[in-house]
Amino acid sequence: MTPQNEGYYYAAYIVVALLYGGYAFSLWRRARALKPRRPAA
Amino acid sequence: MSRLSLVAAVAMCATYIRVFFFTPIDRFQGAAQKIFYIHAPAAWVAFLAFFLVAIASGMYLWLRDERLDRFAESSAESGVIFTTVVLITGPIWGRPVWGTWWEWEMRLTLTLVLWFVYLAYLVLRSVVDDVQMRARYSAVLGMLGALLIPFIHLSVYLFRTQHPLPVVMKTSRPSMPNDMLLTLAIGFFATTILYAAFTRTRYRIATVRDAQLGDDA
Repeated sequence: MTPQNEGYYYAAYIVVALLYGGYAFSLWRRARALKPRRPAA
Repeated sequence: MSRLSLVAAVAMCATYIRVFFFTPIDRFQGAAQKIFYIHAPAAWVAFLAFFLVAIASGMYLWLRDERLDRFAESSAESGVIFTTVVLITGPIWGRPVWGTWWEWEMRLTLTLVLWFVYLAYLVLRSVVDDVQMRARYSAVLGMLGALLIPFIHLSVYLFRTQHPLPVVMKTSRPSMPNDMLLTLAIGFFATTILYAAFTRTRYRIATVRDAQLGDDA
């Protein structure tokens, strides 16, 4: 009989999406904060 | 968003859709077996990332080109993220299948050590101010850390371990049905593209940061 353990499967995929998404967001934030400075007019 | 990042996002969405809707459930392990399609690709990419850190670090020590140091830094950070995924998804898969979240056996323990080594690598980079010294020290640590990779891969053959033997990365044919193998291949592709997108973005950040530090000096 196939074990019923969908909860673990969904939890893993949600955690991984949050981790990858969180890291992508952190890169986006850092890239924005470091936008090349324009010389003063 | 760069074109590479867009491709990575689409590829990861395709992996999720393939796993959720088009991949059969394993009769013996149940749905938890599907964790394999994000766990194994993350492990592969983590090894790739740290291997490239070692190559770039060795070349930095030889050529003293700061672009190599920046690449090593970027790849190490990506590698830590993918190793974190491995260390989180492994126990979530292990709990329903092995009956335990964690076992202090060789492959799991060495993977945890690998994660700590490259975490130390990133901490080292953040605490040493001298640019040349930071690059030299981290290059040595980056190369030494990668020595763990072959041991982690071979640990399932060399020691009694609860971790299963490889089903794909072995000399004989993969021991999986074709529809599961296709899902795994999509996962490998998507995760590798995601690594490339993360590392390239991180490299660009490091390049701008170093240019601004140069202007401020």
